[in-house]
Parts: sequence; structure tokens; C-alpha cells
Amino acid sequence: MNVAASLRERAAHLPRDARDTLFQLAVIGWTVAPHLLHVPPWCAALSVVLLLWRARLALSGAALPRRWIVSALLGLAAVLTLGSQHTLLGKEAGITMLVVLMALKMLELRARRDALVVFFLGFFLVLTNFLYSQSLATGLWLLVAVWGLLTALALAHMPVGRPPLARAAAVALRSALWGLPLMALLFLLFPRIGPLWGLPQDAAARTGLSGSMEMGTMSTIAEDDAIAMRLRFAGEVPPADRLYFRGPVLSNFDGRTWTRLVPSVRAPQRPRLELELRGAPLRYEVTLEASRQALLPLLEMTPDLPGVAPQIEGWLLTQRPDGQWQTDRPVGERLRLQASAWLDYRHGPREPVPGLADLLALPPGANPRTRQWAQALASRPDLADAPPARLAQAVLDHIRHGGYTYTLDPGSYPGPDVIDAFWIDRKLGFCEHFASAFVVVMRMLGVPARIVTGYQGTDPAPQDGWWIVRQRNAHAWAEIWQPGIGWTRVDPTAAVAPDRVERGRSLAPRPGLVAGTLGSLDPELAQRLRTALETLDNRWNQWVLNYAGGQQLDLLRALGYAAPSRQDLATLMILLLCAAALAGAAWAWWDRRRQDPWQRLQQRVQRRLQALGVAVAAHDDPRRRAARVRATLGARGEALAALLEELDRERYARSGPAVPPRRAWWLRFAAAARRSGS
Amino acid sequence: MSLSGRLQAWWQSRLPLTDNWLLGQRNIYIVPTRAGFLFAGTLVVMLIAAINYQLNLGYALTFLLCGAALVSMHMTHANLRGLTLHLRPPPAVHAGEPALLEIVVTNPGRDRPGLALRFLDRGGVASAEAPGGVASAATAASTWCDVPALGRASAHLSLVPPRRGWHAVPSLVVETDFPFGLFRAWTIWRPAGRVLAWPRPEEPPPPLPASAAAAGESGQTRVGSGSELDGVRPWRRGDSMRQVAWKKVARSGEMVSRETAGSAARELWLDWGEARTGDTEARLSRLASWVLQAERAGLPGGLRLPGATLAPGLGDTHRRAALELLALWR
Repeated sequence: MNVAASLRERAAHLPRDARDTLFQLAVIGWTVAPHLLHVPPWCAALSVVLLLWRARLALSGAALPRRWIVSALLGLAAVLTLGSQHTLLGKEAGITMLVVLMALKMLELRARRDALVVFFLGFFLVLTNFLYSQSLATGLWLLVAVWGLLTALALAHMPVGRPPLARAAAVALRSALWGLPLMALLFLLFPRIGPLWGLPQDAAARTGLSGSMEMGTMSTIAEDDAIAMRLRFAGEVPPADRLYFRGPVLSNFDGRTWTRLVPSVRAPQRPRLELELRGAPLRYEVTLEASRQALLPLLEMTPDLPGVAPQIEGWLLTQRPDGQWQTDRPVGERLRLQASAWLDYRHGPREPVPGLADLLALPPGANPRTRQWAQALASRPDLADAPPARLAQAVLDHIRHGGYTYTLDPGSYPGPDVIDAFWIDRKLGFCEHFASAFVVVMRMLGVPARIVTGYQGTDPAPQDGWWIVRQRNAHAWAEIWQPGIGWTRVDPTAAVAPDRVERGRSLAPRPGLVAGTLGSLDPELAQRLRTALETLDNRWNQWVLNYAGGQQLDLLRALGYAAPSRQDLATLMILLLCAAALAGAAWAWWDRRRQDPWQRLQQRVQRRLQALGVAVAAHDDPRRRAARVRATLGARGEALAALLEELDRERYARSGPAVPPRRAWWLRFAAAARRSGS
Repeated sequence: MSLSGRLQAWWQSRLPLTDNWLLGQRNIYIVPTRAGFLFAGTLVVMLIAAINYQLNLGYALTFLLCGAALVSMHMTHANLRGLTLHLRPPPAVHAGEPALLEIVVTNPGRDRPGLALRFLDRGGVASAEAPGGVASAATAASTWCDVPALGRASAHLSLVPPRRGWHAVPSLVVETDFPFGLFRAWTIWRPAGRVLAWPRPEEPPPPLPASAAAAGESGQTRVGSGSELDGVRPWRRGDSMRQVAWKKVARSGEMVSRETAGSAARELWLDWGEARTGDTEARLSRLASWVLQAERAGLPGGLRLPGATLAPGLGDTHRRAALELLALWR
């Protein structure tokens, strides 16, 4: 208590410059804070130290460091960035440098011009936060940051005296609020276009599936609650353990990362899809969120058959020979389509083709102990000359009984022999570890095998009839090839964590302290709270984050356009912008005629009194008018006269700054005038 | 004169000369500042980033800032609109001394922070007096002031007239870049007021003319002897503090002045012919210095110039009349 009071006391007596600098530092710290989690540790530490140092200088009023020190620090930061990111270009390195630059700029904040650069850098830094997260919480956090930056900017332009922070904050808020309609207009109507140039590679890291799989990358996805797609089935809903959504098929392993295969043979010799469908089709409708990938994770197996193949206007959808559906360009908006899937199917060449040799390739010399283990397995008497399915079963049995643990937080697996470290030593991992190790072991046993990435399962219960697949449903499984049968799906994760597959539920990361405590105190409340938050988050995702080209055209359709196009969008936007500009000009014109509110009130009172037959001059003060009212109207005007005298006291008897007249007074006066008139 | 200089002069000459300047659409100009263009560049970069990374919140942020910036344009304009500027009659000063111009800014609406006043041609020295009594250091010859809501504030600009005579107050610029410094709104005002500059008094002060010196001595001895012999009369406006008979005032409670012997007996004539030095301006400087000395010594001095004469007298009014005569002579 006392400490807080004394701090507040101290803050109130800070010189203005020190106070403004501390405020700027706080705002910058707030803006940079979310970045500290993903910049390299040296950068986080350096920026925190620099900001604290600057705060100390502001408090003690000491001189700022010399320019060469700042330059040296900048050079050091560049060298460290090169060291940790191996480049100065690109997203990660750029953000690292931007964070350091921001802190360094504060150290040489002398002129106001420097301050402006800090604010503009700050706005850009806010934007870069969205590269990592666009959740509602991030949005709110950064909204505060923007408010703070605008406040600091306004403060820098109030040079006289020591204006209170609240006043600058009010100015910033007012400008933002008045700007809100314009923002909404631009947000709704600014035509969404694709990336201007090749989508940066690193943008993919933030969504579920990509064309490669590295050990450990999926653990972040597993914590991502964002929705990947929503599904609606025409008929009966199949059980969750049969819902596999096929994403990129990865066959090339370099010892650490799985990538798509670059076939070593010519097209006729490669394995083809050769799909064979059995049973009844399952008709479904799906809404896919923007994935920024040129692929559609559709239900296995959705064939490319006339009449049932998925179609979206304006998009070219094709099925690859490995069964995955792809688009002609990255999906930057929400897509909706209808298709049919057969859950019972066979695919792949029934007889060996030369291209299958690629699916046995392993990095030479890597993972020797796993190879030994595989050889030992193969030489078991009961497995001599066993078919691939028996071998696979034996490996799954080993996973089930060999002491493996399914966890989303297995730690990192460094070193060249990643599979050895997992399969023989640590035995901790999740789908990608199990699938990788399984495929490697199968290849060591001479069975062509590959990784399939995608999604598995849905939320346990539908919302409004839609089944929701989230990013955390991302999954990796394996396929093995058997002569005469083709490809067979094997999900090694099911062997260690059947729950994960049967109910389609991912192992949720451990709850945080607050959520845990709340859950143990009042499970029902915790559940309700979570449902409410989920709903809020869903709305946010649906309405804000997934607002894209398609939704814009829907909006125009709702506004009555028969066949809206992007051009209509631009035309409407420009028209409305012109209207907004005219409205602004009109306001300025009207505002020009605005008088002092006291004078305006005087005129209104004069008109009202003249209507009652009381002759008053424009320059009479309220007291004189009260006297006139008494003289002319007598007892009938007593209430009016009293009110006028009250106004007189309010206007003239008060010391201190002038305040505008209160509206309540006018309402009372108007009522009294009506009574006196009747 | 260059073409732009000519244009500017022509533009200025179109403005009316007035001591009351009401700011409205017709006389407020507004353009983006360099910071504004820099900000626009930042917004473009942010928009490109939002497009390329398909960030809907990036779009939202860019458009939010865009909206706020456009609103700030209106706020900057509204920060000047409706204000009335009034120039108080400027005081007369000696040439070479700063004349303090007081400009009263009256505000009929909400508070107006961050107004800057300066001379158009960037001359002069400025100082501001904010309503709270806080004066800010004048930067680049601009004086800053805040005007409270429904109130008024004074700003002071000082002008140093180089020569004696009337000087028109040069055109003033009132500008603001509140709230975000992205736009700058300004108005150019030609006040009708004039500053009268008296001749610069000669330094060091030359001795009074010989005839006056004698009168001065006798006068000073009389004053110095100060006794009941001195007549007293009721205090008149213009009597100096030295003339007040403080003892009598203390006794009677009425303001009375001594009737000094000097005023009654001798008159001092400061004559153009006696100020024998250099050119006309030097002579006028010497006469101005004499006028000040005579006033300081309590000697009623008259002024005799070719073609103009001022009867001897004492007091502030007389001194001003004498100096004005010198300031405007020929």
C-alpha cells in the first residue's frame, strides 16, 4: 500500500521529459513483450537490458550514451543475428533486428524526430506480432499497444506544460473511435488479393500442414486450437477412428526431415493411384479454413470421379497420384465444397513397379542401432519369410509393449541418429515420432513405406450440426505397400495411445495453473467458461480471421449485387470513401458555425423568452433576464426566474476554468417555459 | 525579388489588415508534414505485409491507423478553427529594444493544445505565457501556448524595431500539428497594429545642456533641502514617486506632491540647436537621452525642434509626448 502510494507520489513529481520517456518505454516494452517468446534468447535479454538501462537514465536524468556506443551495440546485434539466424534478411532475422533496433533507438532519443521514428517502428512491430498469432487475446493485447503508441504520439505534440497522460490517452482514443467506421469500411471492402509475390516460405510454419515434417514441429501445432475445417455428413456419421483427412504424403527422409518424394524414375514407372472403391459413398460438405497451402486435406478417400469430385468455382482441384488433393494456388481464404468419400477402398499398384524402390531409401549409415534391432526382428524364427503385414504387426506389438510413452512434450531429439535416440533410448514421442520410426523400421525390413500427414478425428460433439477439425487434430501416420494389395494404412500412434485415434482426441497439453485450479474447484464452471471462450474464439475465427474474398462477395450479394466482382468491391469502397470525406467536410463546415456554448444558450433562452412575451436583449445576463421575467410574467414566471438566477450563479460565481453549460439545465428551463406559457 | 518571393508578397497583400482574426475554413491551410508522408509510407509497407502474409489483423491494424490518421487531419484543422486572435495595442519602445506584443487567443470550444505562434519571416524573439503561468522556452522563434476550453490565453512575441518611427507589426503565423504531427495547419495573419519606436537614447548619456545644468543644480538643492518651506499640492497623474511627500501622506492619508521649486522657478529647454552632434538621428538620440535625464531629475523640460515645440512639463505623459515628437519628427 505504502509502496504503491509513494511510487504514485514519485511519478507525480517526475519531470515531464522523464515521465514521457518512461511512458514510451512502457509502451515499447508492452509491444515487444510477445516477441520475446520467439526471438533468440540473446535478443530478448539485450532488449530488456537496453530498455531498463534507458529507464534508469530517464529516472536519474543522466546523459544518454554516446553515439559510438549505440553504433557498436547495433553492430553487435547484427553479428549475433547472423550467428543465430545465418542471415539478416527474412522474417525471423528481420524481427530480431527490429526488436533490437527499437530498444537502441530509445537510447538515442534526443529530438522529436527520433521519437516519431520510434512510433512508426512500433506500429510495424505490432504488425509483425500477427505473423505468430492472430488470436483474440493477441488482438486485444496489441490493441492496447496501439493505443499506447498513439497516446505517446499525441503526448509528443503537446509541448506546453505537463499535460496529464489521461488527456493524451483520451485524444488517441477519440481519434481511433472516430476512425472506426473508416476502418470497418476498408476492412470489409478492401479487395483481398493473393500474395503480391511468392508466399514467403516461413509463413507456412504457423498453420497445420506443410510439405515437410521435421521432428518436433508438430508439437506446436498440437497446441493450436484454431479450426482447420468443419464437416457435415449427409448420412450417418462414421466413427472418429475412421476419419483420416489426407494431407501431404512424405516419402523422402534425410535422417531428420521428411519431404515429398522427388521420383527417380520416369512417370510410367512410378506408382499410380489405381483406386478401387468398395461399399457406399459417404456424402459430406466441408468448409476449409485458409491454410496458405496449395492443398485440401479431404476425407480418405475422396476420389476424382465425375459427379462426385470436389469442385470450387475459380479453383483448379486435382488429385495427386499419392491420393492427396491439391489446388492451383495457396488457399488464402475459406473454401466450401461438397464431395463423396469411400471409407473402404484400396489404392496403389498391386504389382511391384520400379518406382517403389524410392520408398525403401534411407540415409546411408544413419541409425545403426535401429538397423540392428530391425535385423534382429527379421531373424526371429516366427517372422522368417513373414508377409509385410505380419512384420508390421510385430513392430506395432513392440511399440505397444516396448515401454513407449505418448507425450506432446518429448523434448528435442538432437544428433544425426534421431530414430536411434527415439526408438532405442528415450521412447518418448507423439504421432510424428512413431510414424517416422515405424516407416524407417519397415524400410529396414524391406517393406516400402511412407508417411502420410493430415488430420485425424474431430471434436467429440458437433456444433450446429458441423463437426469441427482443429489444428491440434493434425496427425501423421504410415502406409506400407504389400504385393497384391497395394497401400495399407498403419497408424502406429494407435498402438501406444489408442485414445488418440479412437475418439479422435488429441492428448491436450497440461492445463495451466489457473485453469487447473479452477477445474478442481468447480469443474462445471470451468467447463462452461471454456465453452464460452471456445464460442468466442470460434466467432473471432469465423468473422474476423477468415474474412476473405469469398465472404466479401457474399457481403455484396447480401447488399443486392446480382453477380458481384472484385471491381464492384473497389467501386463501392471508393464511393463510400468519398462519402466519408464529404461527411468530414460537412462536419467541418457545420463546426465553423458553432459558437461558444454559453452564447448559444443565451440565444436559445432569448428566443424562448420572447415567445413568452418577455422582451430581453441579446447581451442581457441571466440575472437581468430573471428580473424582466418577474416584471412581465409575475408569479407565473417565478420558476423561470429562479432557473435563470441559478444559471447566473453557475456561470459567474464559479472560479476556475469555464465549464460548458449543462444540458439538464436547458431541459428544465424548456419544461418551465412550457408550463409558464400554458 | 525572386518569383516565389513576389508571389508570397502578392498573396500576403491580399490578406486584410486586422487586429481581430477569426479562424475559419477560408484562412486555415493544412498539408501533411514530412512525418505524415513517412507515416503514409509505413502504412503502405504494413498493407503490403498484410497482403503478402494474408494477415487479416494486419489489414485491421493498417486500416485502424489509416482511419485514426484521417481523423487526426480533422482534429488538426479543428484545433485552429473557431479561434479568435486579437493583438493588444503594442507598447512604444526605444528603437533597438524589444517590444512585447501580446496576442490574446479566445477559444469558443474544447481545449486547444499545442498552438505555435511566430512571425512569418522567422525574425523576432518569442515567449509564451500559458494560462497556468508556465512559460516554455521559445524554440526557433516560435512561442507555444495551450488554450483552455471556453477560455483564453495570451502569447507574447517580441519585435525589435530597428529605427525610430511607426513600424507595422509583421505578418504572424499561427500553426499546429496537434494531435499526431501528421498534418500541419496554419493561418497567416496581418495585424493592423503598429509599434511606435522612439529614438534610441544616446549611450553613454551626455550631460544636460549648460543652461539646464544650472537649473538642475538649483532644483536639486531645493529638492534636497526638502522642508516645510516646500509647497504641497494634491497628487496629480504624472507626478513621479520622488515628488510624493511621503511624510505628509503618512500623516494625512491623502496623496500629496511637493511643489518643487524647479518646476515653479525654472524651465529647461532642450533645443535642437544645442544638441550639436553628428547627423539628424544622432541629434534626436541626444535629445531623447536629455528628455529621459530631465524626467529622472524632476526638471520640467520643454522641447524645441525646427518646426515643432513642446511646452515644458513633467510626468509620464509629458515624457511620452516628447519622445513621440522625437520619434515622428520629419
